[in-house]
Amino acid sequence: MAVPYAFRLAAQSIFHEKWINFLSILTIASGLLITALIALFVYNVDATTRKLPEKFSMMFYLKDNLSRQELENILNTLGKDDAVEMVKYIPKGEALKELKTMLKDAAYMFEGLEENPLHNSIEAKLKREAVCPETAKRLASEMRAIEGIDEVEYGEKFLSSIYSIKVGTRAIGTVFIIIMSGGVIFVCYSTVKILFYRKKEEIETYKLLGAKKRFIRAPFIIEGAFIGFCGGLLSLIGILSLYYLVFLRLSLSIPFFKGIIFPTNISLLLPLTGLLLGMVGAAIAIGRIRY
Amino acid sequence: MIHFHRVSKHYDNQTALRDVTFSIEKGEMVFVTGPSGSGKTTLLRLIYLAEKPDEGNISIAGWEIDKLKESSIPLLRRNIGFVFQDFRLLNNRSVFENVALALRIRGVDEKGLKTRALDSLKVVNLRHKADSYPFALSGGEQQRVAIARAIVAEPAVILADEPTGNVDPDTSAGIIRTFKDINARGATILVATHNRGLFCNTGRRVLRLDSGNLVGEETG
Repeated sequence: MAVPYAFRLAAQSIFHEKWINFLSILTIASGLLITALIALFVYNVDATTRKLPEKFSMMFYLKDNLSRQELENILNTLGKDDAVEMVKYIPKGEALKELKTMLKDAAYMFEGLEENPLHNSIEAKLKREAVCPETAKRLASEMRAIEGIDEVEYGEKFLSSIYSIKVGTRAIGTVFIIIMSGGVIFVCYSTVKILFYRKKEEIETYKLLGAKKRFIRAPFIIEGAFIGFCGGLLSLIGILSLYYLVFLRLSLSIPFFKGIIFPTNISLLLPLTGLLLGMVGAAIAIGRIRY
Repeated sequence: MIHFHRVSKHYDNQTALRDVTFSIEKGEMVFVTGPSGSGKTTLLRLIYLAEKPDEGNISIAGWEIDKLKESSIPLLRRNIGFVFQDFRLLNNRSVFENVALALRIRGVDEKGLKTRALDSLKVVNLRHKADSYPFALSGGEQQRVAIARAIVAEPAVILADEPTGNVDPDTSAGIIRTFKDINARGATILVATHNRGLFCNTGRRVLRLDSGNLVGEETG
């Protein structure tokens, strides 16, 4: 089949069935817009939690009067762990100095201190990919078993909460995106199915005249792709408008909106996503052609 | 060109064709006649593979129907031109587009397509109606458009199911003349009709069907 002819047939059908196609485009646009908003939310949560490893560290407080050998043993054990990126020994004198700098406005708190109440400590930073509650918990428990470690602190609950939010958001987001994508496919499927039924007689004539399956399918696939593409394009316009006209303006008065990251490059994929989903819906609607 | 060997076709306990055997050679023009329900349309439907026989073998232009893969059905149909009883014209396409469709399906380029479709319309004297739409034509004109579409790709076999069923006697005579001309160019033609006047004195072979049985053969 000459490809331009398939496009011509598709164009005629799109024009002829303009209302059903228009409504389908609007439905697809709404579906993809919701999908894009969910994806934007998941993306932002992910981006925020991705910054966490840079700030995350574990503190190992040491018992007093450790020998040099014992200290080196602890530092070696930590340094050799696959999850650990950096180890830093903080003598209690340095820790107190730092504390005094931090609390210089409340210097009275340190008046009357006869001896340093702090412990010597070791700060360990984990590798970016190793920052998760399981690894932190394992390392804490292994280190607690070593003679000379007095206490381990790493914000266990905070890390677990952040990690749960990350995993949960991803999972719920994925489920929503799959459901919405299924919805878009279903809209394209229904539209093409209706058009396919309306043209049943015409298709039968094609078959009797010797048309191959691709001759029959091509215009419907093109039509499905067009509907999906237009829906995607509208949703892109929708989300860009939402970002530039609403989020950016709100960010001037509400700081929360300032932190929203908008992945422009990825959002440009929306029309392409619509096109692909439209083609899939159309292909399912046509199904198997029998002679 | 067309060979039926002991072909039977049944629909829900009803026999449409029973043990039918005949052969039509290349370049022949043959009529199939019989009363309504005698099996004429079923016979044609078996040839263009709208149906499959329950028993027996059919061979068309060297293709063994029972050995034919589904993907080859369009290729077989491209060797056959059809004139359907109900025309099967597309009302949303012009007369030209209806005729050209048979060529588009065969992948003919735009230039060749235009010349051939217009030539074909000229054969049935409808060149001047190329831009009209089927719904604006009379029954006879629609029938001739269907004939133009059937012959445009110059198929080896042309099948016509009651091609004069909706037209007046003058138009009928014209249609049969057109078939004879096409036949003279080498096409094998099989015309199903219950109208005896159509094949009388044509000197062509006539197969007579009755209740699904091939009951005789005569010369018209």
